[in-house]
Amino acid sequence: MESIVAEGLTKRFNGLTAVDGLSFKVEQGEIFGLLGPNGAGKTTTIRMLASLIRPTEGNAYVGGFSVRDDALRVREIIGILTENPSLYERLSAQENLDFFARAYGVDEAATRSGRIRELLEFFDLWDRRGDRAGTFSKGMKQKLALARALVHQPSILYLDEPTSGLDPKSAKDIRDLMERLSQREGQTILLSTHRLEDAERLCDRVMIINRGAAVSVASPRELRQRATGAHVVRVGLREATEALIRAAEAAEGVKAVEVKDGVLSITLAGEGYTPGLVRGLVEAGGSVMYVAPLEVSLEEAYLKVIGGK
Amino acid sequence: MFRKDLSEVARNWEVMAPMILLPVIISVLIPAIVALVPDSMNGSSGGNILDTILPNLPEDVRLKLSPLPEGLQVMYVMLVYYFAPFFLIIPLMVSSVISSDSFAGEKERKTIEALLAAPFTDSELLMGKILVAFAPSVGVTLLGFTLYTVMVDVLTLGRFGFLLLPNLTWLVMILCLAPATSLLGIGATVIISSRVKGFREAQQLSALMVVPVLALLFGQASGFLVLGPTVLLVLTALVLVVDAALFGVGVSLFNREKILSQSH
Repeated sequence: MESIVAEGLTKRFNGLTAVDGLSFKVEQGEIFGLLGPNGAGKTTTIRMLASLIRPTEGNAYVGGFSVRDDALRVREIIGILTENPSLYERLSAQENLDFFARAYGVDEAATRSGRIRELLEFFDLWDRRGDRAGTFSKGMKQKLALARALVHQPSILYLDEPTSGLDPKSAKDIRDLMERLSQREGQTILLSTHRLEDAERLCDRVMIINRGAAVSVASPRELRQRATGAHVVRVGLREATEALIRAAEAAEGVKAVEVKDGVLSITLAGEGYTPGLVRGLVEAGGSVMYVAPLEVSLEEAYLKVIGGK
Repeated sequence: MFRKDLSEVARNWEVMAPMILLPVIISVLIPAIVALVPDSMNGSSGGNILDTILPNLPEDVRLKLSPLPEGLQVMYVMLVYYFAPFFLIIPLMVSSVISSDSFAGEKERKTIEALLAAPFTDSELLMGKILVAFAPSVGVTLLGFTLYTVMVDVLTLGRFGFLLLPNLTWLVMILCLAPATSLLGIGATVIISSRVKGFREAQQLSALMVVPVLALLFGQASGFLVLGPTVLLVLTALVLVVDAALFGVGVSLFNREKILSQSH
């Protein structure tokens, strides 16, 4: 079931195209990443999907509701972590969450206070619940803003740089939370991030946007493979003899074999030829220590895709 | 939203300071100076006030004042008529300051995006913001008027032998014209806030709304008009017409997209 369907989503500001005909689908429970350089159109895309701004052309359906025609319903079912924490700094952490819980229709006092306590405890803010948000560190504000996005248990979450400003432990907690929300609670997450390690670890698929247009939509692994070009595996042998090199060259699907420091780098016609290659080496008397696909990192793949490298 | 904004306002000294100081100056200091320094009312300036305002006062008031010494006549005119327009400055300033903080302040503090993303309709957002400026401004005006009435009566009862306030003129002004004036301040600020980025800028421009009130003050001081119940009801009707026009423009200018673009 699709949580988000974008169809030719376009936004122009004074003749300048910020988002140019984006079309994509996000399945329920999927973590979908938006990657792109500054000014690529990620925040504008999120704002259109949150019915905060109206698309110039195209439409999107969030939980089945049109961002153009059912803006209020869209806003009801989403939780959003905005680019800025957008916290009321003169109000306490608890007051901030209480206001937004009420705004999102969590009317029953016991439910509201229970949910607020659960979130503040999870984000290690319970002891500071009565303190004004303005006295919080950047990381604490980010956590409180994330708690606000979750306070009404939305089925769809938009997170704009959720781990920005967080220490490694807090960033890991947030990543773990996103995984839990997606896998156990079936929440759909649209994640806009510059942190490619977050995208790599969390996202089922990522869309790379550049100058408002989608450059690529794929899983992080597919992106890396595409950037790598051919399918290359590194095979570590106890001893890389000539006989074993010839056996590797003779295996089905092998296009090229290189040897460096006793490790074979073998270019295959496809991933499916790997078991046959390993079998051939073992039958030739080789002791295979490890087999690892050789791929570029997501960062390298990303830079290649957006033309930075 | 009303409760949230009210909590925020109560913790902002830039908003609270004028809300407290203005009524204190107008309701306590001014009557205290006028009532406690009666000799100052006997000079040539006192005579001028009587020359310009007294002839325009209703017959029953002139008859009531005629047996009194000139100093007390001047005191009566000043406390009951001359300072009345000051009580229109209170709702105007308080509503402008609060709505500047509430509209332009949210943009300035970059809190507006999460608010706009919440499931509020445009009219709910606007009504919440209007109410949070309207209710305290009317409340502060009523409180100020009560304080002024008590101060004036306590300080003057011994000399006059009767209570100066409240009277019908003041009740019409406080209960009809002051709320309409509060809406005038809010309406103007809604429009101003849609054009500016910051709280102070909005507040400074909203302060220009005091000009019509000053015109009333000078109009009365020059003997051009006297604020009686009928005049005040006519003014209320006029102000309400202007309010409706301002809110019409304000609502048409309320554009989430524009607000968001201004907050970055």
